[in-house]
Amino acid sequence: MARLLSTAVLLVLVALTTAGCGGDGPSSGPQSTKVIDVTVSGRSTTPSGQTIDVGVGQRIELRVTADAPGEIHVHSSPAEQEFQYGKGTSTIEVEPIQAPGRVTVESHTLGKTLFILQAR
Amino acid sequence: MTPLLLLPQHGLGGAQDLPVSRELAILGAAAAVAVSFVVLALAWRTGRYDAATSGRPAPHWLAGLVDSTAWRAALRAVGLVSLLYLVLVALAGKDLLTNPIFGIFYVWIWVGMVPASLVFGRVWRAISPWRLVNTGLARITGASPDDGLYAYPRRLGMWPGALGLFAFVWIELVDPHNVELGHLTFWCAGYLVAMVVGGALFGNVFYARADPFEVYSSLVARASVWGRRDGVLVVRSPLANLDSSPTDPGLLAVVAVLFGSTAFDAFRESTRWLTFIQGDGAPIVLQNTLGLVGFCAGVGAIFWVASVATGIGPGQSRRLLPGTFAHALVPIIIGYIVAHYLSYLVEVGTFTLIEASDPLGRGSDVLGTGGLTVPYWLSYHPTFLAECKVAAVVTGHVVGVVAAHERAIKVLPKRHQLTGQLPLLAAMIAFTVGGLYLLFST
Repeated sequence: MARLLSTAVLLVLVALTTAGCGGDGPSSGPQSTKVIDVTVSGRSTTPSGQTIDVGVGQRIELRVTADAPGEIHVHSSPAEQEFQYGKGTSTIEVEPIQAPGRVTVESHTLGKTLFILQAR
Repeated sequence: MTPLLLLPQHGLGGAQDLPVSRELAILGAAAAVAVSFVVLALAWRTGRYDAATSGRPAPHWLAGLVDSTAWRAALRAVGLVSLLYLVLVALAGKDLLTNPIFGIFYVWIWVGMVPASLVFGRVWRAISPWRLVNTGLARITGASPDDGLYAYPRRLGMWPGALGLFAFVWIELVDPHNVELGHLTFWCAGYLVAMVVGGALFGNVFYARADPFEVYSSLVARASVWGRRDGVLVVRSPLANLDSSPTDPGLLAVVAVLFGSTAFDAFRESTRWLTFIQGDGAPIVLQNTLGLVGFCAGVGAIFWVASVATGIGPGQSRRLLPGTFAHALVPIIIGYIVAHYLSYLVEVGTFTLIEASDPLGRGSDVLGTGGLTVPYWLSYHPTFLAECKVAAVVTGHVVGVVAAHERAIKVLPKRHQLTGQLPLLAAMIAFTVGGLYLLFST
């Protein structure tokens, strides 16, 4: 019985370790800040719906160049982040994403998706 | 509750996480569907399922329990308490994303109902507060809850259900204000009125065909092991259960909306579509609405054409064939729901449980679940998740091919049984390729 039990424990341990190794764990260590350039001109934006890779926990900075003031929403859960920017160039610091997944960033003023952050 | 900032709303598991290239995965999946057809053609030559005899009666204690008045009343109470909770958070809760109503509506009800119905059977029918309200109103007036003022028009079939499902997927996938409390409450108010009035007019039969959530739940429950034979609870193989399901007009519309909308959900986030609709063209909501309609209609049209493109026997009506075969799409829908929303259900579903413990946003912990942590295991193992997606889609399609084959043997004349299925097989392979392509296109 004890033998069976210890075998089972060993198997579970092996399974857990391999599962831990198999995945891409949370990225650790310092990462450089991800700088994303955003241009808003009239009703058009750059980027416009692209997917951008970032690291989990990586600092994100938006450099917004706009011809009119506006608002950017980061559709994260549970709280959305909302940022206002003015005419000209401004810098926005976005809170790092805390888990792997996809987060949509949209121009609230135009109702358009700027890009989708893919954190891994 | 600790504030968790910036958590993603969708998990990973995309094309780059597959252990093989996307093209190879799609090719393999299509081959699996084709091979399963060949195996069926050789080994499955006579019909195996007969709704009048299939399944064995459930154990006495179980049948006694689920058919007891106390059990039914308990489930109705669950439905009623849940409804009151939703009314409370809709009217008194905060208009923030932290309001649990969004997670309950879009994740628990919409996605969670699929595994719940697959395991437990017709869940929504059992807890539906509308059936309770209708029964109560009928009792007061001394009428039978099963009959309304009018007989439900048979020709309508499940078309109202398809319409209601479309209204749901529209607010979920197209409405840019879908996480604003006012919009959601407005939608729910419309749904409530339709259900109460419909029940009064047509009785309980209305809910089985027109309540979008009951239609959805009962459809998925057809692939569960729980069935009824002459009112007796029976345990059947899921395939036999699926085969025993009745065919109502509008069934194809229901499955087309469910399948098409899931495909559109994958498509609408692709860079190509986003770049296209965000050009200087028509309003984005209009384009997304047309896209959603296009996907649902496209799925319905492909399936319709594929199922009528067969030789038929004398006196057989070609027009009835699409409805006869439509149940074969049910396992496919389940496969895509698993593929699309597995990590979403686990992660946002748990998050909703945390939020639900604080219904009014006052920092309370009424359910005792406020301290849970969200399990991000799936998102940290995107390769496993990507493999699950492919496996779910392939399994769904293979089971769909089996269901269609069994039905073809029963309804098609002998000499058309195999050739008549070829267009359907082509449609299934097209769905597999298209579905996986979309799933891994973002």
